[in-house]
Amino acid sequence: MINKDLSIDFLGVHFENPFCLSSSPVGNCYDMCKKAYDTGWGGVVFKTIGPEHFVVDEVSPRFDILDKESTPFVGFKNMEQIAEHTLEENLADLKRLKEDYPDKVLIASIMGTNEEDWVELARLVTEAGSDMIEMNLSCPQMTSHEMGSDVGTNAELCKKYCQAVKRGSDLPMMAKMTPNVTDMVPIAKACLEGGADGIATINTIKSVANLDLNRKIGLPVVNGKSAISGYSGKAVKPIALRFLQQLRSAEGLENLPISGIGGIETWEDAAEFILLGSSTLQVTTGVMQYGYRIVEDMKNGLMHYMEEQGVDHLEELVGLANPNIIPTENLDRDYKVYPEIDHEKCIGCGRCYISCYDGAHQAIIWDEKERKPYCDKDSCVGCHLCSLVCPVGAITKGEVVLKPGRTGNPADKII
Amino acid sequence: MNEKYLEEAEIAYTINTVMEEAQRCLLCHDAPCSKACPAKTDPAKFIRSVRFRNFKGAAETIRENNAMGSICALVCPTEKYCQLGCSRCGIDKPIDIAGIQRFVTDFEQQLDMKILKKGEPNGKHIAIVGSGPAGLQAAASLLQKGYAVTIYEQAEKPGGYLRYGIPAYRLPDVIVDYEIDRIVELGANILCGAKVGQETSLSELKENFDAVLIAVGASEGKMLEMFADNPYTETAVDFLARVRDNQGDISLPNSALVIGGGDVAMDAATTLKVLGVESVTDVAYETFSEFLASKQELAGAQAKGVTIIDGYLPSKVSDKQVTFKHRHNQNELTITADLIILAVGQKVNAEELALPIEHNEVTFEGYQTSDPQVFVAGDIAKGDKTVVWAVQKGKEAAAEIDAMLGGKAND
Ligand SMILES: Cc1cc2nc3c(=O)[nH]c(=O)nc-3n(C[C@H](O)[C@H](O)[C@H](O)COP(=O)(O)OP(=O)(O)OC[C@H]3O[C@@H](n4cnc5c(N)ncnc54)[C@H](O)[C@@H]3O)c2cc1C
Ligand SMILES: Cc1cc2nc3c(=O)[nH]c(=O)nc-3n(C[C@H](O)[C@H](O)[C@H](O)COP(=O)(O)O)c2cc1C
Ligand code: SF4
Repeated sequence: MINKDLSIDFLGVHFENPFCLSSSPVGNCYDMCKKAYDTGWGGVVFKTIGPEHFVVDEVSPRFDILDKESTPFVGFKNMEQIAEHTLEENLADLKRLKEDYPDKVLIASIMGTNEEDWVELARLVTEAGSDMIEMNLSCPQMTSHEMGSDVGTNAELCKKYCQAVKRGSDLPMMAKMTPNVTDMVPIAKACLEGGADGIATINTIKSVANLDLNRKIGLPVVNGKSAISGYSGKAVKPIALRFLQQLRSAEGLENLPISGIGGIETWEDAAEFILLGSSTLQVTTGVMQYGYRIVEDMKNGLMHYMEEQGVDHLEELVGLANPNIIPTENLDRDYKVYPEIDHEKCIGCGRCYISCYDGAHQAIIWDEKERKPYCDKDSCVGCHLCSLVCPVGAITKGEVVLKPGRTGNPADKII
Repeated sequence: MNEKYLEEAEIAYTINTVMEEAQRCLLCHDAPCSKACPAKTDPAKFIRSVRFRNFKGAAETIRENNAMGSICALVCPTEKYCQLGCSRCGIDKPIDIAGIQRFVTDFEQQLDMKILKKGEPNGKHIAIVGSGPAGLQAAASLLQKGYAVTIYEQAEKPGGYLRYGIPAYRLPDVIVDYEIDRIVELGANILCGAKVGQETSLSELKENFDAVLIAVGASEGKMLEMFADNPYTETAVDFLARVRDNQGDISLPNSALVIGGGDVAMDAATTLKVLGVESVTDVAYETFSEFLASKQELAGAQAKGVTIIDGYLPSKVSDKQVTFKHRHNQNELTITADLIILAVGQKVNAEELALPIEHNEVTFEGYQTSDPQVFVAGDIAKGDKTVVWAVQKGKEAAAEIDAMLGGKAND
């Protein structure tokens, strides 16, 4: 079995591997975190701890999933708030975890309603032995508008609360961002100005996943009603990656330390987050669906990836893809790539024909008798919808041609 | 060369279809499949690795546990083992574990992954007699622990029944070569055309090696007394070896009769059909309700057009004509065929190896013989007679040898 060093330093803390539970029910108590550590997770962000005066009162049921064809959990919607255990219990669990697992990373997630709360919570979790603090500025379904994403969309409040946390603790601190904004950069910058050392992103996206069609109520149904609440899991990965890229390409944030979150469940997802600038990774929905064991294949797969890439230290991979995602206006628009259809592989389903006709440029000619598609190069714009719908991978990138009037060498294009 | 005979019968998964199949897996807690593999492979773990797109990790899980992983993927009677317990049966049908394993081992082969690593040489040398799956697995296990290994094989090519028994359309030569090459690369020295008992005696081996492992299998077909002098009769294993050796290119009879109701009978009958023999009849002693052959093999033979008659015993033979009597009634049946194939079991031939053999296996439990330097594994050891069991017995015998020679147990 391959064995490579997956360790990485993040905000001055050493992680034996970058995989952490993100703050949520998956790291709700001592026993859960213990099992996660034992299964091989490098760190845990404990379930968000709130002030004593804020009473958490949850609904039942509180989850829903989005399916597509036979795939469940494409996306996951939850209506949970923060930790239901008492402040005292949470602090005792943190303390015991740090004592029993001194080499694993323990991160306390906190959330207050005012400056005093933030200072006090920061102080308490530091006393309990945490290695790092994460500020939850981003839960989209709090019952108080002084908490969660209502705070996280307000740059001024974010800065003020970051300063408060820094008054209460000198531990390294990350601010956890809400994706329910058009631009995360001003919020992240305000947090950094307030003293945050890094950014954790993303929290869940406001959503309505499904309706009960007979009763005409959103799901899950809580006494005849439902509410907008946070969406997570595989479906949010592209959105999370987009925020990573926007942060790391903003002026002054090129080396922003990031803990990446949102839809990670395979080593490939993990590698993508790392290549776009994450040093550590956090997971909830994948664990809720499959259990802590998913870390085994993420770690092993990442080791194999490092081996293939000839990399000995994970940090060498961090942010390598950021320079390769550029503004759309800067992309090369001088050429097109024709699809190449392998008639040996083609099974004659005609899906490319349908998609090209109804969703593109009517450029696939269908031989009805032979049940074979042909590309009409005069109509083809090279969008490659056909290759994406082909169920057997029979359509690949073929000839590269310059558009009329453009100059350059088609052979030089990296397609 | 006979293309049909050499062409693999099963279609392999592609990356898309294997993901679909892996997604059917329920990723059970305490998965029953993983408890049911005789070689203690962990299907739940490698299926999970496939589900999470960690194909290399899946290959490690299979290979580190089973040096015959690619072969088992093709020939294991999974319906009796891992797939039998699959929880998915409660919904529809079991996960195609063998198919997924095959995808993973093909992937391993395409990437030429080198998962097994030679151990630090410990200066000790083991002789293995027989290069079937048991001998090969034992060699792989011992080489990883740092032993030098020499295998003595009487046949021209290594592999035992993998090479000369199981038909090529179920187990192509390239796969057998690939598995054996990997073990040779680990350092096994395989001597072919070297029968122990003739030029080399067991006592010589004992003198020159630290331990001897006998894994000679049951390499001869059983003959029934009444057929012994019949010129049209051949045992199934001789017939299958002849076909395989000639890549399917043999002169064909117009009609053939196979006697027997096990997997070997089904292989012989199906092979005859695949080769193009017009009329192939199989007569089995067992009735269908007690049939020995796996459902898959039986269905395969029927699909190819083999006529199967159950419940009859041969009572008389003269030239090409065999008369049968029904086991439970007075009916008689006479069949005439150009070729008569006897598939009534295999037997051990180990006279020169001084082993206590009864009912084609040793009389003692475990692997060490009364001579502490000599061990057995594979079909001649007690227990089931399949490739996967041969692998497990090879592993366990290797561990016993290692323990005797001072290695740490379970490391
Ligand atoms: C036709 C057929 C089909 C089968 N199909 C399947 C199947 O689909 N799935 C499955 O799991 N199992 C199947 N089996 C059973 C399986 O092949 C055996 O259980 C397995 O091969 C036993 O392994 P082994 O290593 O003990 O012995 P073998 O594979 O029998 O190998 C023993 C080797 O020892 C050599 N040898 C013998 N005596 C000497 C000597 N004195 N000196 C040197 N070498 C010697 C032989 O030449 C042979 O190469 C099949 C068997 C047959 C005959
Ligand atoms: C049920 C549930 C509860 C959550 N609770 C919290 C929380 O208490 N604090 C927090 O910062 N994020 C919370 N989150 C958000 C997750 O930590 C994470 O940011 C988000 O789910 C995206 O990651 P994922 O796709 O891996 O689930 C919760 C998410 C879920 C699904
Ligand atoms: S028993 Fe079946 S469903 Fe369960 S883990 Fe094994 S293969 Fe998957």
